Amino acid sequence: MRSIRLFLISSILATLVLFNFLAALQGYQSSMEEAETLFDNQMLDLARLVSNLDVSNSNTTEIRLGNDLAFQIWEDGSLLAASSNAPDELLQNFTPGFEFTNFNGYRWRTFSRFEPSLNRWVIVAERTDLRFVLAENVVLQSIFPLLLGIPLVGLLIWVIVSHGLKPLQQLSTELKNKRANDLSPIHHTDSRVELDQVIESTNGFIQRLGRVMEREKRFSADAAHELRTPISALKIQLHNLSEEIDTNHDSFLALQYGVERMQHLIEQLLWLYRATPEQFVANCKAVDLFKITQDQLAILYPGFEKKAQQIELQGDSAFVEGDQFALEKLISNLLRNANKYTQEGGKIVVRIEELEAAGEDAVKGSAEKEICLTVEDNGPGIAESDRVRVFDRFYRADSQDDTPLSPGCGLGLTIVSHIAELHHARVVLEESSMESGCAFKVYFKKIS
Amino acid sequence: MFLNAVIIVLQEILEASLLISVLLVFTQLFHKIWGKSFSLKTSWVAYSIILGIIGAGLYSHYTPQVSEWFDYVGQEVVNASIHIGSLILLLILAFVVPSKKITGKLMTRSRLTTFCMTGVVLLAIIREGSEIMQYVGGIAGQSGNFTPIVFGGIIGAGIGLSIGVLLYYGLMSLSIKWAYRLGLILLMLIAGNMGSQAVLLLTQADWLPFTPIAWNTSALLAEDSILGHLLYALIGYEATPSILQLVCYLSGMIMIAISPLFRKVQPHNQSLAGTN
Repeated sequence: MRSIRLFLISSILATLVLFNFLAALQGYQSSMEEAETLFDNQMLDLARLVSNLDVSNSNTTEIRLGNDLAFQIWEDGSLLAASSNAPDELLQNFTPGFEFTNFNGYRWRTFSRFEPSLNRWVIVAERTDLRFVLAENVVLQSIFPLLLGIPLVGLLIWVIVSHGLKPLQQLSTELKNKRANDLSPIHHTDSRVELDQVIESTNGFIQRLGRVMEREKRFSADAAHELRTPISALKIQLHNLSEEIDTNHDSFLALQYGVERMQHLIEQLLWLYRATPEQFVANCKAVDLFKITQDQLAILYPGFEKKAQQIELQGDSAFVEGDQFALEKLISNLLRNANKYTQEGGKIVVRIEELEAAGEDAVKGSAEKEICLTVEDNGPGIAESDRVRVFDRFYRADSQDDTPLSPGCGLGLTIVSHIAELHHARVVLEESSMESGCAFKVYFKKIS
Repeated sequence: MFLNAVIIVLQEILEASLLISVLLVFTQLFHKIWGKSFSLKTSWVAYSIILGIIGAGLYSHYTPQVSEWFDYVGQEVVNASIHIGSLILLLILAFVVPSKKITGKLMTRSRLTTFCMTGVVLLAIIREGSEIMQYVGGIAGQSGNFTPIVFGGIIGAGIGLSIGVLLYYGLMSLSIKWAYRLGLILLMLIAGNMGSQAVLLLTQADWLPFTPIAWNTSALLAEDSILGHLLYALIGYEATPSILQLVCYLSGMIMIAISPLFRKVQPHNQSLAGTN
């Protein structure tokens, strides 16, 4: 994911470095040219000074100078005086001005000047390499603070950008920490012009969301009441009817099945739409998965007994964080499912065990534990191609069959998957460890 | 010394940072175009830079021995091989990119693309880094050269890296369509430059025959001018390229142009512009 902070810091710093360094290069070049002019002017002055030296005409005078400078004084074609490091040959032709020459193994800048009052030619020379090094050292000293300043400027940019992005970061943290059921508007104290619109829009969105949720809640409550009441009335009428007619009549059995299925469908539908993250967060607490399973088994035991199924509960107390009511629904749906699809006399095993986290979310190297709830049977099982579809809404394994096994609407496993998602749990459908059948496994995070 | 250091370091760093920027832009573009199905991790840059610096250190350390290979043309041959290797990896990269929007996982293709990107940058850093190390190691030891070389090196590196960073953000600020097009043009120039450089080095090593010069633009823009060096780093500018160099430069460009990477930009123009 691209970061605004990284973009701002690196692009500002890059722009600053680019233009400063290009300016430094430009400054270097013009300063070196200036230094050249300065050195040439010095040579000019030196030539003037040397031309007025008092030297005798009889013998060639040698004057000691440093290694970087040399001169010659010529009069009527003969060398009148010279520095000790100058050769005897003419350094430069008798033409006034600057030139370059080589002697003593170095390259020299030379300047020739004619002094008419004394009828002398004066030639002064300066080593180019030393001129260059001297000039470069001086110029580079002016670049040094620039280089030294870049890390400091970088640090300063980082601090300024971080400070500038602080309100955005605060707003982001505020939104992140907002509980799922908290629909109160955001009161961002450290407001900025740029963020005001974002806050205003977000608050408007939260407000609209609140209204929609309120409407949905009201609908659920109304629907629950409005739909349950006629179903209850139907059931009473059905019971009264059973007193008067033959209850083994096909039409009566179909009617009874239809009413039961409708009631089940309404219950499951209402459940699916009422199980919202907001409600879930509000009711979240530490619950014993083993205890809930035990209770649900006790409730649903008559169903297993009716089909002469053998049911076994393995494991021990295991606490997870969740909504008791939702988890009851999850376990009950899984048990009902096993009861429904396992043949008469079949075997169902419910297991609760603690495992090392191995999912995608497990942090490498961490000893995070998971609680695994397994409901497996030795029923006919589910074909591999159908496994991905079992959690789809209204999918029923017997949907191709005209003779449904029992009241069901194809929402049970959708609700299981929905509840697992609310609990950040994973639902996995595998083959049963028994000779046939399938195993539903739900992996919960263990309470630390 | 100072200006020489600036030019040499700038040229090498600019070549590498340009390549890294363009490939990083493509990494981001692939993610935007194909989403998770063909998404590359950007961590390949860090690995290739670290390994490249180690490789450059080793290569510059063993350069004296390497240069004695193949009748004292070892360095030219190895450098040409690095260019050819980079070009091959770049072409594999251009050909393994999916040519149309396809669903499903493209794990093998994305792994191969990541490998090619890492390889190209690794080889570039080995090549450019070793040249900088050899230059600095050879000159900075001489008295009076240290300060100008270090200052020049910092300024050259600073300018080269800054251009790379600004190029990356500049391309990323464009729409996917234009970022892809410009990135592709730069990649074509980089590929052409690699081919041309390999030919030049092999000609210098006498492994390839000398061919006539295609043109001479020395009077217009000298190779050793600052702009000449900059253009060399950017598009592989040479004032007097040989015909064989020109042929290889164009071949590198054409290979990219006929690859799926080039065709990718055509069919999704409309949808890509809409996603940005």
